[in-house]
Amino acid sequence: MPIQQNPEPWSSSQLMEPDTLASLIKNNKVGSMLILSIGPDAIIKGSVDIGPTNDSKNLKKLKNYLKKVSKEKEIVIYCGCCPFDKCPNIRPAFTALKDAGFKNSKLLNLPKNIKVDWIDKGYPVKE
Amino acid sequence: MIMKQLLLSISILCLSGNLFAQDSLTIGQNAPEISLSDIDGTAFTLTSLKGKVVLIDFWASWCAPCMKEQPELKNLYEKFIDSVKADKFEIVGVSLDKDRENWKKGVKRFKTEWVHVSDLLFWKSPIAKDYKLEGLPYNVLIDENGVIIAINLHGNELENAIQNHFNKKEE
Repeated sequence: MPIQQNPEPWSSSQLMEPDTLASLIKNNKVGSMLILSIGPDAIIKGSVDIGPTNDSKNLKKLKNYLKKVSKEKEIVIYCGCCPFDKCPNIRPAFTALKDAGFKNSKLLNLPKNIKVDWIDKGYPVKE
Repeated sequence: MIMKQLLLSISILCLSGNLFAQDSLTIGQNAPEISLSDIDGTAFTLTSLKGKVVLIDFWASWCAPCMKEQPELKNLYEKFIDSVKADKFEIVGVSLDKDRENWKKGVKRFKTEWVHVSDLLFWKSPIAKDYKLEGLPYNVLIDENGVIIAINLHGNELENAIQNHFNKKEE
């Protein structure tokens, strides 16, 4: 019998494709959406640097940050350090969003890393 | 006429070279220069190690598989310590860290005593582009002339590649 893998805290509909976010940023259509970096560096233009959420200090920082945010707010989190299966940051961060009751939270789909799936594609980065 | 054809052939070759530009490093090419500060802030260049076999290890303290490999690299360094002392072998750890303190902590954790350099630019580092990195950990082994002799070998394969190179030299 195959071993049942633990399901991810996000569903496939909660993954945002990089070209979708890149196009929103390029066309100034991000609006009130929050883009949070929960990895080693907030590379994406307009994103807020929380820090790697495998560190309990940064996870606490994320939770505190979210206290001031409306539960209806659209939030996109990203890391991009490593492939999803090896990333230590995306699961604790997404679980924190879920537990706090954010209904419109998304994870940026960077299956390999932020270099290959964002920088190399010429998508907007911070200067 | 022959001259025209020759020029045309050269143009086509140049064009195809551009069209099919290599998207990864290849064995036999010269390793791109690395010109960065070391962990104490001293300027370092890869070419300053000419004459030594060099393992360029791309890593970061935020990369779990890289941190797992550091003790293995430390064992490798110990195995070749006589070559290190004889100025024949060196490891250069190029970190893609962003935070200086995390970088230092990562080095301190395993007390790795080889050369450590970084521009602290995470994936935006120009070195990541020069070496066409697509993920970590990643390494490149270069010979005494700075020519790439192995790409992304780990464990026994890496050790054998270094040993084989030294054996060939002794023949």
